[in-house]
Amino acid sequence: MMRRASPAVAILAMLLCGSFAIQTASASARWYAGELRRDPAEAAFGREGGQSGGRVTGTVKLTLANSAPSPASVYERRAVGPRPKAQPEIKSVVIFFSDLPATKAAPMQASIAQKEEQFAPHLVAVTTGSKVAFPNEDPFFHNVFSLSRGAGFNLGRYPSGSSRSQTFTRPGIVKVFCEIHSHMSAVIRVFEHGWFTVPNEDGTFAIDSVPPGDHTLVAWHERIGERRDRVTIRAGADTQINFTLPVLEPGQ
Amino acid sequence: MTAPRLLTRALVASFLTVALVLGAVFAVLSLRVRDQVRQSVADNLASAQQVFIKVEARRQQDMRASVATLAESPTLKAALDTWLTERSTANEETSVELVETVQREARKIAERVGADVLAVADGSRRVVAAGGRLAGSWPRGVVIGNAADASLPSARAVSVGSGMYHVVSVPLQLGESTIGSLELGTALDARYARELADLSRGQAAILSKGAVLASTVSGPAARDLAAYQPSDTGGATMTLAGESWAIQPLSQLGDVTFLALASIDRAADGQMPAALQGLAWVGLGAMGLAVLGSVWLARTLTQPIDHLSRSLSAMTTGDRARNTVPLSGTSRELDQLATTFNSLLTSLASAEAEAEATYLGAVRALAAALDARDPYTAGHSERVSIFAVAIGEELKLDWDAMETLRLGALLHDIGKIGVPDEVLRKSGALTAAEFETIKTHPTAGARILRSIPFLAPHIPIVELHHERPDGLGYPYGLKGDDIPPAARIVHVADAFDAMTSARAYRSGRIPVEAIAELRRCVGTDFDGPSVEALIAALPRLVAATEPHDPKAMQWTPRARSA
Repeated sequence: MMRRASPAVAILAMLLCGSFAIQTASASARWYAGELRRDPAEAAFGREGGQSGGRVTGTVKLTLANSAPSPASVYERRAVGPRPKAQPEIKSVVIFFSDLPATKAAPMQASIAQKEEQFAPHLVAVTTGSKVAFPNEDPFFHNVFSLSRGAGFNLGRYPSGSSRSQTFTRPGIVKVFCEIHSHMSAVIRVFEHGWFTVPNEDGTFAIDSVPPGDHTLVAWHERIGERRDRVTIRAGADTQINFTLPVLEPGQ
Repeated sequence: MTAPRLLTRALVASFLTVALVLGAVFAVLSLRVRDQVRQSVADNLASAQQVFIKVEARRQQDMRASVATLAESPTLKAALDTWLTERSTANEETSVELVETVQREARKIAERVGADVLAVADGSRRVVAAGGRLAGSWPRGVVIGNAADASLPSARAVSVGSGMYHVVSVPLQLGESTIGSLELGTALDARYARELADLSRGQAAILSKGAVLASTVSGPAARDLAAYQPSDTGGATMTLAGESWAIQPLSQLGDVTFLALASIDRAADGQMPAALQGLAWVGLGAMGLAVLGSVWLARTLTQPIDHLSRSLSAMTTGDRARNTVPLSGTSRELDQLATTFNSLLTSLASAEAEAEATYLGAVRALAAALDARDPYTAGHSERVSIFAVAIGEELKLDWDAMETLRLGALLHDIGKIGVPDEVLRKSGALTAAEFETIKTHPTAGARILRSIPFLAPHIPIVELHHERPDGLGYPYGLKGDDIPPAARIVHVADAFDAMTSARAYRSGRIPVEAIAELRRCVGTDFDGPSVEALIAALPRLVAATEPHDPKAMQWTPRARSA
């Protein structure tokens, strides 16, 4: 398998990321998973033994925002309101270690707002037992439901200004939808440990206090798929690793 | 067999000419009508098909709209997206329930749209689940069309398995992402061809790469249809199995061409009789007018000739009126003919008069020579002729009878040519034998005249002018009405002249005595009407007759003074 990204595509992705650099300071912005990464990870690692772990840093590049071909539609999008500002696709990526043992990481509080007929943020990553709130910030009813195995739920319809929440106890992928607005969706990744993060808008990421050793680091996107790489973590040292999603096959 | 009338010939000739011209015109017209009917049928088909194209395009759009609406099913999208995410992620088990949910939704949508087959496909157009009548031919995993081509049109012709489908794709979108698509498939089979045919009110065919996928046309026509080549102008006329068809391309979908077609011949057969019937009525009317025109023409041409011919025949067969043929004034040629004929007639009449005068002169000379044998009877025949004609005029005889009378009287004693002079001139009483000799002169005269054919009408006068009403005359002793009137007249005229003339044995009596004698013997010796007519005519005769001897002058001075 060759890693061969065309320079043009890479530059395009960089420009894309740059254009999304301006981020509005919303009420939910501080709940972005990327900003929460240190607390649970450090706490978990500290609880394990207090020894100093290693740090992994790197960059994620998205070469394709969407893997599916877009058939020309005769109809515009279904949303009623004005087209909302698109969320940076890079924020829908999760970087995590797939083979670290489960730790009793502290449950988190996260929130996914329903605003302008979008779930914002589109993706949150939480530890098991965390509670995710879904405040309705639109002037009309919304609904939250999921068909994901093991986490199927339906919070019903609720009006503007109210909020309902759901606690996730099983690790895995939970896809969340609104039964009123069929184009709305969100993803919640639930982990049994705290070594995961969502990259910054420029694609950089860092996970601290990783137990030393050889581990598998995964970059995952709900539709693009995932990319796995082996990393060796040394105590007190930085390990650099870069991801490109998706991996382009030779000849493509 | 008599020759046909000029009118008939002219009529037949002019009518035949007009009928031939009309026939040619109508033959050409009927061909024109046939072409026009075919053209209008083709135009009608083309316009009907144009309408159908628009309707069909609208129908496709509506179907796409309903599929697009149905595509916004939260359950379908949620199930599909969740399933796809689980499938693309390692270490995640895929849920059977999710696929069943997708399957259920696909069936539901297929039923609502009435699609042959409706598939829910992933981003690579790979079938996840399908519903509809032909769902079995689109199993899971089959790719609908070329997955690599992201810029596929929403509607396209796709070959799946052994069948060809008209596929409309509607994207399934979550936010800005497209997670998959709904593939609405319509099988391009005979059933769809029938549907198209019903909608276009004609026949329909689906062609792909020179082969007929499906059509409602059967038999050899369908085989010929494979040779169809799309034309730039749209509609085309094509001969299929010997028939002319109007072909209109409905739409083009990749290699697949949809055609609406209809048989012009079959449609024209329905309309042709009506058009030809109308033409036939016009033709009948024209023929009727042609007959009337021919009659008028023939009459115009032949009427003057007919008139002329009638005039001529009336002139030659009727009484010999000496009138001329009138000029018709209808044409210069006919007037010339009439003028020529008139001049011919004039010269003929003068020649005839001349011949008659010559003939009369000869007869008069013969009679005069006869009379001259006896001085006492000189001029006798002339006078008898004058008296007889006078009597005839009084009795109003016709012209022919008068002519016969005039000549007959002149010749009445021609038989005396065979009587010897001594008997004829004898001044004393005749012996019985001599009288018998005298009595032979009527039959002798008749015998003489029989040898001359044109004197035949005068024979009775000569032969019978000595017969008497009482039957005591000679030679036959005929009685009363058995004696021809002309002979009776000549008998009276002869007796009157004989009585008023001197003879060798006596002197002539004066007319008054002669009349008295004649009247006395009416019924026995003389015919009454003839005697009365002579008496009535006498005053006129005085002026016309020269006195043949002095004694006759005894009654003439009165007339002269008158």
